[in-house]
Amino acid sequence: MTTTAPGSDAVDLFVSPLGRVEGDLDVRVTIEDGIVTSAWTEAAMFRGFEIILRGKDPQAGLIVTPRICGICGGSHLYKACYALDTAWQTHVPANATLIRNIAQACETLQSIPRYFYALFAIDLVNKNYAGNPMYDEAVRRFAPYVGTSYQKGVVLSGKPVEVYAIFGGQWPHSSFMVPGGVMSAPSLADVTRATAILNHWKDNWLEKEWLGCSVDRWLEVKSWEDMLAWVDENESQHDSDCGFFIRYAQSIGLDKYGGGVGAYVAPGTYFEPSLYENPTVEGRQAALQGRGAVYAGGQYFEYDQAAVTEDVTHSFYKGERPLHPWDGETVPLDPVASRTEGKYSWAKSPRYDVPGLGRVPLEAGPLARRVAASAPDPAAHQDSDPLFADLLDRLGPSVFVRQMARMHEGPKYFKWAMEWLSQLDLTGSFHTKPAELEDGKGWGATEAARGALQDWIVIEKGKIANYQVVTPTAWNIGPRDSNEALGPIEAALVGTPVADMEDPVELGHVARSFDSCLVCTVHAYDGKSGKEMNQFVINGMV
Amino acid sequence: MSSVLWFQAGACSGNTMSFLNAEEPNVVDLIVDFGLELLWHPSLGMELGDQAKKIFTDCASGARPLDIFVLEGTVIRGPDGSGSMDMFAERPMLEWVTELANAASIVVAIGDCACWGGIPAMEPNPSDSTGLQFHKRDKGGFLGPDWRSKSGLPVINIPGCPAHPDWITQVLVALATGRAGDIALDDLHRPQTFFKTFTQTGCTRVQFFEYKQSTTSFGEGTRTGCLFYEFGCRGPMTHSPCNRILWNRQSSKTRAGMPCLGCTEPEFPFFDLAKDTVFKTQKVSGTIPKEVPEGVDHITYMAHAAAARIAAPQWSKEDMFVV
Repeated sequence: MTTTAPGSDAVDLFVSPLGRVEGDLDVRVTIEDGIVTSAWTEAAMFRGFEIILRGKDPQAGLIVTPRICGICGGSHLYKACYALDTAWQTHVPANATLIRNIAQACETLQSIPRYFYALFAIDLVNKNYAGNPMYDEAVRRFAPYVGTSYQKGVVLSGKPVEVYAIFGGQWPHSSFMVPGGVMSAPSLADVTRATAILNHWKDNWLEKEWLGCSVDRWLEVKSWEDMLAWVDENESQHDSDCGFFIRYAQSIGLDKYGGGVGAYVAPGTYFEPSLYENPTVEGRQAALQGRGAVYAGGQYFEYDQAAVTEDVTHSFYKGERPLHPWDGETVPLDPVASRTEGKYSWAKSPRYDVPGLGRVPLEAGPLARRVAASAPDPAAHQDSDPLFADLLDRLGPSVFVRQMARMHEGPKYFKWAMEWLSQLDLTGSFHTKPAELEDGKGWGATEAARGALQDWIVIEKGKIANYQVVTPTAWNIGPRDSNEALGPIEAALVGTPVADMEDPVELGHVARSFDSCLVCTVHAYDGKSGKEMNQFVINGMV
Repeated sequence: MSSVLWFQAGACSGNTMSFLNAEEPNVVDLIVDFGLELLWHPSLGMELGDQAKKIFTDCASGARPLDIFVLEGTVIRGPDGSGSMDMFAERPMLEWVTELANAASIVVAIGDCACWGGIPAMEPNPSDSTGLQFHKRDKGGFLGPDWRSKSGLPVINIPGCPAHPDWITQVLVALATGRAGDIALDDLHRPQTFFKTFTQTGCTRVQFFEYKQSTTSFGEGTRTGCLFYEFGCRGPMTHSPCNRILWNRQSSKTRAGMPCLGCTEPEFPFFDLAKDTVFKTQKVSGTIPKEVPEGVDHITYMAHAAAARIAAPQWSKEDMFVV
């Protein structure tokens, strides 16, 4: 049904809907000569959680914010808890920090195979690649439901969150992290079982299916050259899902597009317990094991929450100027009426004030974390890993590099989680009862599997006076700002080649490589008349 | 073979994520072994573009038989009843919901949001969200109290925030294997086989409840005691099988020391999370729980509690869930 306008190669595609945190997302792109020339991301659903939280009990965020997104609800809980820890000036025992780290990591370990097979890899068997010599093998592995790797990956993705349930009762949607610690106090068998479950997952998926080698062997890969040598080192690695993906992704060109803004934000996550027993806003960055950083204009900057603002110029909200989240507002407008004012999304546009560059859009997610991990001057307890600085130097950002960044975290976080389990002092304390201060301001942050996730809370007279949540999906899918600067996914879509207008799978690759919470439909518009040409659904959620 | 169409409206995807944790059957078994024909799902569907939209319109028009329509998430009516706060495939989602619910043989609401509005519908309900056939405990919701699907059944509610994967998969298997007639519903349209019991049924802390011994703090304090007295646990007042069918095959919130929030009941989140209601038992005269177990009055409760405390053995005052 899709055709281009007679005598022209210009076509508009409308991608709808994409986001699940602040709603479904629509993406509209303009295509000329088979290449995307501009893009608009439109979050299409509104629930108003920040409005709901106002006037409620300070701890309401522990129950409400995980329900913003059931895909990374554990991450919502984690940062909501630290927002209260900083506001109430709590003491968090080392054991509680370890349990929070373990739980957060297990949610991400679950997400990695579930996202890869159920959401991303489905597109690798798109019929547009049928001419590729590796296509039959891709289908054998990744075809939905019946693919040999799909079945194992999707089913075994439930294992890491069994560990979450041991400490938190259930996943998704527990609220077991509370200011001052955690609700649970594990028994010996809880810890031994958790260790066994993670080992089972590592043996049966991570090493057997994904890597084809030991976790330790993979973690010796420090450069693009190392990675290529790793693929060819032996049959097991060459033919593993990872080895296959590295080869196939290059052969279908996933290393050639989807780069985006080339600037990154990662508040970082996971604390060295001894350095964050008394959580403060100021002390956070130095206590991190998974480092935070901002990388923009070719330079690294220390992450500072004070530099974050949200812009609503093109969002369906009232607001005149960018606001820091402590002063943030959420006043919805009628989406139909305000569209005439150039507003087009329920997502706000988070921006970061980079010295010398002003308020710029930044990409959040695993690639941002990997960039932060390659920043100079790590402390002894901090992740230091040059791999992705090298990949970006050699290849530049792309769908492929973003995807490898995500998959690289499987082996890394597995090792960390096992280490944290081994450090638990079962006879020690897991909670220090906090003073529930009547007034205060807090900030909590983490890295959900899909990126920077942060809460800012203002408590007055024992109630929430303001609560603002800035999600990775907002960083990535947020619309243009007052400078008309494109959001990161908007920017990443620009330059994407679309081979088949009937089935623009490349847009799916780009959108999915951000792992946003997406259900997106792509509508094709004639570039000249604006008439809708076609509509596509790009499934997705994580 | 039963055809299933699964939509997400004002949803967080939590029920889908929960569903993907299922085993016996897992999601692959459901499709490969039980022949469930998943026509489309926002996370699992394969069809793209015209093919996908054709599925929706063909199901809505009746051109393609739709056995089961599953909705996850609230029906968003705002602003001003237009539903334009939730657009899907260029229409307000509520228009799709109306057409597909009326076209399906059976309609299943999965999770609190689709059942009765859940968290988005708590005050001040900025998106004007509601459930398919209930708004909180009031019958009606989006489709109205007397609405029936083509098969003559009301909306089958599988509540919870999220619903447990087994509650979902076992009901889908029952429907797919012709056992719809065995699904007895309670007055909130919940399958009784899951929701007759209490969350407390099977809780490892029930002996402490019996002897009125309270947990005194979170963390190491939860190595003993019951969470009902101080920490707002709703286990005795909530209908769910959370301690009969464990979560993620491992545990439950109450077993792990977290008070039940009552999330299978329409009032969740209780007290609209007003000041001093979160993880705190609401009391009368500073000591007596405002809410007591279902079917018990306060006088009887106090008499029973006094006797139970006298009867409490020494072990009930010591740690039980030890290292």
